[in-house]
Amino acid sequence: MQVSLDGCARVALRGRLDAQTVVVCWNLLEQKLRTSKINVLELDASSLQFCDGAGLALLRYLNMGKMTPSANVSVLGLELELEKLFLGFTSGDYEAFRSTAPVQRHSLPEEVGESVSHTAADLREQVAFLGEIMANLPPTMLDRKRMRWPEVRRIFELAGANAVPIVSLISVLGGIIIAFESAQPLAQFGAQIYVTNMIGLVMVRELGPLLAAILLAGRSGSAFAAEIGTMKVNEELNALETLGLDPIRFLVVQRITAGIFLTPLLTFYATFMGVAGGVLVTLGLGFPLTLIYHQLVSSVHLSDVALGMAKGVVFGAIVSAVGCLRGLQTQQGPSAVGISTTRAVVTSILLIVIADAMFSIIFFSLIK
Amino acid sequence: MSDAPQIAITVRNLKIGYGTKVILQNVSFQVRHGEVFVILGGSGCGKSTLLKNLIGLYAPIEGEVWIEDGNFLAAKDEERLRFLRKFGVMYQSGALFGSMTVLENVRLALDEFTALPEPVKELVALAKLKLVGLGAAAQKLPSELSGGMQKRAAIARAMALDPRILFLDEPSAGLDPVTAAGLDLLIRELAHHFGITFVIVTHELASIYKIADRVIMLDSRTRTIIAEGKPAELREHAADPWVRRFFNREADSAEAAQPK
Repeated sequence: MQVSLDGCARVALRGRLDAQTVVVCWNLLEQKLRTSKINVLELDASSLQFCDGAGLALLRYLNMGKMTPSANVSVLGLELELEKLFLGFTSGDYEAFRSTAPVQRHSLPEEVGESVSHTAADLREQVAFLGEIMANLPPTMLDRKRMRWPEVRRIFELAGANAVPIVSLISVLGGIIIAFESAQPLAQFGAQIYVTNMIGLVMVRELGPLLAAILLAGRSGSAFAAEIGTMKVNEELNALETLGLDPIRFLVVQRITAGIFLTPLLTFYATFMGVAGGVLVTLGLGFPLTLIYHQLVSSVHLSDVALGMAKGVVFGAIVSAVGCLRGLQTQQGPSAVGISTTRAVVTSILLIVIADAMFSIIFFSLIK
Repeated sequence: MSDAPQIAITVRNLKIGYGTKVILQNVSFQVRHGEVFVILGGSGCGKSTLLKNLIGLYAPIEGEVWIEDGNFLAAKDEERLRFLRKFGVMYQSGALFGSMTVLENVRLALDEFTALPEPVKELVALAKLKLVGLGAAAQKLPSELSGGMQKRAAIARAMALDPRILFLDEPSAGLDPVTAAGLDLLIRELAHHFGITFVIVTHELASIYKIADRVIMLDSRTRTIIAEGKPAELREHAADPWVRRFFNREADSAEAAQPK
């Protein structure tokens, strides 16, 4: 490459102009062209042996006057084929690209407004979905052919039976942790035996249902969203629709039914394992089993167990319904299913906690 | 460019399959530079599987694939990377990265493998997009494009580093005749003006006649190549009646459909 600079500049290009040599040329030209005042620039490409896309891009860049803003730049001597390729992308095309500005950023109030309207729309959708479920659940459940009980069984196994190991582990450990943590402060008052009462109440009324529901949300709510979301992306939901099958009736009702039936069972199991963990600790502290049993029976009433089971039913309905809703709301694109599963878990846990708070308030005012 | 090898791809005695199931065997052929080479065959005969073996996604049971003068399938690490940069691939569905704009899709290889200055990279990518007729769609996301546009964008992405060989899997499947003809024209132009070698898997007869310099035909009964040559010759003179029927677009007659 030779550069001779006078009033008008002329750059003679020789040899290969490819992705490697363009980098070298670029640095050289940057040094020489940017620093001098040039009115006319001629690029002589007649001795080029090879020129690829990167080389042509460099020529076009120079030709657009990007390095020499005030100069009139011409490219001479390009081979016929290269000339054709060179003219295939003009400065006009580049300007056209520049004018298609990327998505504009919104101002803060706009963002806030948009997010509020999104949340409102989402709430509206949730209410509409709830209505649709309410309208579809009883008639479908009574219609044996439509209900597809084998599907309910499959989900029952997948979301319920297969969750038993992890629920066992977490509940037992939860019980053990709470028992140990509370044993020490209670010992200061000589009230260690009340660890049993506390474990009983806490597990039956609160932690059993919560643990079961949160595990269900993480394991199965997300799975529902992913499954239905993938079906939506693959147009399987459209296929159902045009076959005259309502996705709510065909997919959602089964999952919610399974959720409503399996969560109380899972809750009962989680509660039992949690209490067992606590009992283990109190046994280790030296209390006899009969005493522990009496403490448990005297502190936990049937109403507490009923409350726990009722929570299980509600939480199960929430988790499975939210999982299905988020699946149905899946958009297009590769990240859509991932977004749906995340939203399913987050919304499920949020609604579970809200429902739990409402349970507490209602129960408190009932007893008063 | 005269010092470049004349033979782009050499396939020797390839035997491919899944596990112990053999799909194709005794597959040998050569592809010359600047040629549009078409791999043909009925549905389910293993065309796409053969392509995936050629580009190194699947390992064949036995046999070799040479690209120019190196054994591609035996290459490892850095050497394999050098081979991979000699060719580009367009997948049947386009396989554009959905989280990036079309321009970013095309730029990806330039960003990863070259030290080019930013504006040059942008211009290269834009020029490729213009070449495939997608200049106006640069800022769009793949999901905003039609099927034909996605395929063209995928060709632009495959061409980003100016490879000398392009593999296309079913380029015109699912396109309307006008778009498909446009794609044929593009392939023809790239092959003839810029010396790009094409290896194309397809069964679109109309485009085979327009673009193919040479075809090989795979057969699911014998599990190997049953015909090789120019499409017009095969239509008239192929030894195998099934090949002639394929090129003349005739249905299997009742007699031929009977098991022998």
